Amino acid sequence: MSTESMSMSSQRLVDNLAYKLKRRQVVGSRAAALETLLVLRQVVSKARFSNIDQLVDIIRGAGRKLVEAQPKEYAVGNTIRKVLHHIREEYQTATGGVPSTSRTSFSISKFLVQGQPRKQAVAVQSEDRPLLKENDPDDPDSFAKGLKPVLMEAIQDVLDELETVYDNVSKNAKDHIHSDEIILTLGMSRTVEAFLKSAAHHRKYTVIVVESAPSYGGHEMAKSLSAAGISTFLVPDSSIFAVMSRVNKVIIGAHAILANGGMFAVTGSQLAATAARAHSTPVVVCAGQFKFTPMWNLYHEYAALDFGDPSAVLGFEEGDLVDKVDVVNPYYDYVQPELIDVYITNYGDHPPSAIYRLIKETYYDEDNELDSSTTAPESSKS
Amino acid sequence: MPPKPATTKENLIGDDDEVLQAVILADSFNKRFKPLTTQKPRCLLPICNAPLLDWTLESLALAGVQEIFVICRSHPEQVKAAIKQSKWSKPGSGIKIVPIMTAKETFSPGDALRDVYTRGLVTSDFVLVMGDLVSNIRIDEVVRAHKERRKTNKDAIMTMVVKESSPYHRTRSKGDSAVFVLDSETSECLHYEPVMGHPRTNVAHIPREILAEHPNVEIRNDLIDCSIDVCSVEVPSLFQDNFDYLDIRRDFVHGILTSDLLMKSIHCYVAKDGYAARVQDTRSYDAVSKDILSRWTFPLVPDDHHPSDQAYELRRGNKYLAKDHTVSLARTCKIGNNSLIGASSQISDGVQVLSSVVGRNCTIGPRTVVSDAYIFDGTTIGADCVITRSIIGAGVSVKDNSVVERGCLIGDGVVIGPDAKIIPFSRISKAPDEDEESDDDEESDSDLEELEEDEENNVAGKLGVGSNAILWPKAAPQEDEDEEGVDNFENLRFMRIGDDASDIDISDAGTVSSDGSDESSDEDSDADTDAESAATTAASMPSGTPIPTTPFDAEFRNEVNQSLERAFAEGHSVDNAAVELKTLRMASNVSLSRVREGVVAAIVDRIKLVNTGPAAQRAEIAAVVNRWGELINKIGGVDAVETITVLQTHCAQSERLPLFGQVLAALYQDDIVEEDDIRAWHRLPASQGEGVNGSVEEVTNLKKCWAVGARMIQQFDEQASDEEDEGSSEEESD
Repeated sequence: MSTESMSMSSQRLVDNLAYKLKRRQVVGSRAAALETLLVLRQVVSKARFSNIDQLVDIIRGAGRKLVEAQPKEYAVGNTIRKVLHHIREEYQTATGGVPSTSRTSFSISKFLVQGQPRKQAVAVQSEDRPLLKENDPDDPDSFAKGLKPVLMEAIQDVLDELETVYDNVSKNAKDHIHSDEIILTLGMSRTVEAFLKSAAHHRKYTVIVVESAPSYGGHEMAKSLSAAGISTFLVPDSSIFAVMSRVNKVIIGAHAILANGGMFAVTGSQLAATAARAHSTPVVVCAGQFKFTPMWNLYHEYAALDFGDPSAVLGFEEGDLVDKVDVVNPYYDYVQPELIDVYITNYGDHPPSAIYRLIKETYYDEDNELDSSTTAPESSKS
Repeated sequence: MPPKPATTKENLIGDDDEVLQAVILADSFNKRFKPLTTQKPRCLLPICNAPLLDWTLESLALAGVQEIFVICRSHPEQVKAAIKQSKWSKPGSGIKIVPIMTAKETFSPGDALRDVYTRGLVTSDFVLVMGDLVSNIRIDEVVRAHKERRKTNKDAIMTMVVKESSPYHRTRSKGDSAVFVLDSETSECLHYEPVMGHPRTNVAHIPREILAEHPNVEIRNDLIDCSIDVCSVEVPSLFQDNFDYLDIRRDFVHGILTSDLLMKSIHCYVAKDGYAARVQDTRSYDAVSKDILSRWTFPLVPDDHHPSDQAYELRRGNKYLAKDHTVSLARTCKIGNNSLIGASSQISDGVQVLSSVVGRNCTIGPRTVVSDAYIFDGTTIGADCVITRSIIGAGVSVKDNSVVERGCLIGDGVVIGPDAKIIPFSRISKAPDEDEESDDDEESDSDLEELEEDEENNVAGKLGVGSNAILWPKAAPQEDEDEEGVDNFENLRFMRIGDDASDIDISDAGTVSSDGSDESSDEDSDADTDAESAATTAASMPSGTPIPTTPFDAEFRNEVNQSLERAFAEGHSVDNAAVELKTLRMASNVSLSRVREGVVAAIVDRIKLVNTGPAAQRAEIAAVVNRWGELINKIGGVDAVETITVLQTHCAQSERLPLFGQVLAALYQDDIVEEDDIRAWHRLPASQGEGVNGSVEEVTNLKKCWAVGARMIQQFDEQASDEEDEGSSEEESD
């Protein structure tokens, strides 16, 4: 089916990335998103299709493979959804289909009138007003030839957005950080780093960096910030609660932002957010839009089920202990939406309660399920 | 030769961008897993439900290896089929895997490497691993370090990867480990000494030269030998040259490190991060399974990256369940921490699965307890059974009310029970079927015949009424006497699953000493694995004190004399003579000082006694020393002080006593001994004849020599003051 119409070379590319993701040679949301995009661009440019459904199938096929390879890198699935969204959009403009405005201006009142948006989208698609002729028996490639330039442009748009995401997230940084404030941040997040540095051009403030064991990303962060001339303190994780009373704002990054407004973020985020809540300190999350994930964390109150290698916590050479102790090294915490005050994205600032809407605008509903295993990040009931 | 064109082609590819090659020895060359390995090779035994070979291939893929040769001996068609079916054969895997079938006569890793050489498989530096490796170490970094080292030092032929752990780590084999002596700066491996669980060793013998030559050495007994070796192309050819090398560590590494002729060096890469271990016995099977389940091998863990591409779902507490929702767990069953359950398995009511691995399509009956056990695919276990610390093969049926105690290995297709009571450490396999034509190799046939004789041991009650199985005899220590080295019976106990071997540690003292005395006269280098036998200690630690002359010694002396006479007579070059002496020393395994004695004596005796006056005598001495003096320093080590001592002793015993001073002067002139050496010798109490037990005459002769030396030193002092005077006067004149 879809894989057959994918050319050998692009299939190899997809496999290659799938292995890289599996072996954790590509880590981090942005790196994963970038790699996915580059592969998708190749796949689309080499793909042969004579109607939109075939193209969507090809991309979904590639996407399914990548997501299955590493279901914990949510950015991969998000990127694929985003590309699919752009492609459909371009297709509709090209074929003069019902413009997407009716879809994007969806609201509760219209929901009551029109019913589920899914049906509506399908209805849009079935409408066939050919400026570009689909399924042309004389020249099956004509459709692809006509559409490809716009498709490549669409993918390029996503790529550009990804490349400028740090700048766009941090462009309003000075409105969020005021002079002489004390900011607490956690671990190493490129988005937060760019955000704080951008604010430092306009304001003078202090950052307390939590080192976030066992990855100790905070060390790198503290070095980078103090090199940029920001007054920086590095504190251990255990003192988060103690310093919280002096902190004006907590600014942290995210790994994935879920549809309910909660998020997965580096271990320790949950601790920081809870401490901040106890002191009524605002919690601000900086993240690019590619981290928006149309999923829910149904089963786990505190953590994502992504455990790393225990060697960071307990050395392998501790032979006696290795036998007797079960070591757990979770990668990510789940932070509930109630603990977060605002998300700062490259698409503006939003409260957690508005995330569902952003996600709806970003992706087509039918793409939410690339495959059955991604409906819920973890289907375990422990 | 068919492989020829292929290798030239690889050469071309290699020129463009270096293809990293790997050789997997997919055979264990031992029987530790029998009877599980009677029907399939060890590398296809599942660990955490994926064949060992897949773990190994995945470990190599993680390191970016592009071409892999799998050397298989037992059941090669199965290995070949497994490789063909695996994901690696699909296009896009980026790895080329070539199964190589080697002859049945390949009995050791050494033989396999000789085969690699004759086939001309490898074209550049390659990675050599065993087919039972589980690792997430970045081997490509080791390869890079190896290549970097090779640029400056062509003799660094091999880099061994070792993992830091602790001496009593569960993953470190107690039966088959080693002491490594490393240079702290270059991490060159200077000495390798295998350590076994039995006979037990309390001492490591480290040659004195190592401590003399290297200011900083690390002596380490906490390393896991992962058997990942980055080898240069020379390595297979060295195996070819030395046809008696069997084991890579015991023979090859030991041989290279002790050889003066090859002048090759081996380095170690001490991996601080990452995980690597071998499944070399049932005990390490247990340990590595546990390591995988507790995620030390990350990202090679079942829920993330299972080598056989089965999907598992991780639940809190390192419990892994097949993700396709085909596992059926009864409501009242209990799955403990660190457990894995394969697809389509059924766990009934009241079952407890604790720290165990259950394969695919298994059924476990009500109220059964499975703890620390490994159950392969398609096995059925009845109700109310207890299975502890054992490995149960594929397609086994254990009927109701059976008890399998710790350390048992149950082969494929066995049926036992009901009410079977299997005592600890039993090995059970299917009885040979009369109707079925057995197409096994002769080896396993003979094993089975052996077994049949023992069948009266199978008390019916033990295995249960419906059993088709036979119990393997417990190998008694006496029977196993032919198995020397690592595979001796007591030592194997350290490698069994579930055996803590605590009784051996206490009771073995007597056997050790008797073994030692048996072998002390044995000149084989194996002897140094033996415990505190005095002769061995002396041999491997050459000391300055003269060793009592034995007939063996005299023979060696004789050989040295003959070889030197030949050299003198036929006018060999000094280098050639030196090589000949080195070979002689290796062959008779004597210390360096013995050779030195021989050489000095031969040179001194070579000097003709001339009666026509001191000047003629001096010319004669100078001629001989000029021609042959260099030889003294070329026999393998420079120790000028010892040279003088030897010279003194020899002169004191022969009629050439008057020549001592002149010979010493000639040696000094030729820079064979330095002024400082003479002073150092002079300070030694032994040079004055103190503490030397010999005839009175000898002692007086020694004293005379010492006096000559004293005069010489006096001259040096005078000269030095003269020079100083001259120096100062020159300065003044400037």
